Amino acid sequence: MTLPDEKKEPDFSDVVSGSSTTAPAPKEQAVTRTYTVVGGDSLSKIAKKIYGNAGRWKEIWEANKDQIKNPDLIHPGQVLKIPGA
Amino acid sequence: MRTHRSAVLFALLAAVSFGACAKKEPPPPPTPVPTVAPTPVPFKVTAVDLGKSIGDDRRIKDATAVFGPKDTIFVAISTEGVAPKATLKARWTYGAKGQLVNEETRDLAPTGPAVTEFHIAKPSGWPAGKYNVEVSADGNVAATKEFEVRK
Repeated sequence: MTLPDEKKEPDFSDVVSGSSTTAPAPKEQAVTRTYTVVGGDSLSKIAKKIYGNAGRWKEIWEANKDQIKNPDLIHPGQVLKIPGA
Repeated sequence: MRTHRSAVLFALLAAVSFGACAKKEPPPPPTPVPTVAPTPVPFKVTAVDLGKSIGDDRRIKDATAVFGPKDTIFVAISTEGVAPKATLKARWTYGAKGQLVNEETRDLAPTGPAVTEFHIAKPSGWPAGKYNVEVSADGNVAATKEFEVRK
């Protein structure tokens, strides 16, 4: 039940982000990008946000199998490694 | 007389011999000049700026702390120092409760002064209110900037 005066937290699941730098990238890995899961996210939604292609969710899953056993079950606050982003 | 001539001859030979020996002595080694290796500057954040756009040098073009709902929000982090690997992180939060908006990390191999930018956008529009961006360098919070979105 939702109280009438209860304020819902804003939804930031459609936030898109990026970064760039004038500094060289480390030799062993060009860029390590991470993404923090927010409420309402799924791997396909994240893939859509980052790659523009929801079908690339498996790449994210493969890079995070140490912490995602079930690809249908991710939790807000999880920090995922984003390969090749 | 013979003795005297022998003594003179001996003295001459001794002088020549001494001179020859003295010439063979190696010159004294040059005094080493102490050289001080430049101390590498440790990687650190020198400035954090917010704005609506950046230039090719990644620096903020129009600094502001007030944004509109459809703005892309940039944070430009100026750093100095040298490191084989350093990590910068931008953590964006909303409101007094610090609701997480976005978090992104970038690895660098800085060789001197550099600028790194992070940006966020929300196609459906930012909710009005106060936000924060916390910038960390190698896991240590380097700066926190507050900004506001107004309708």
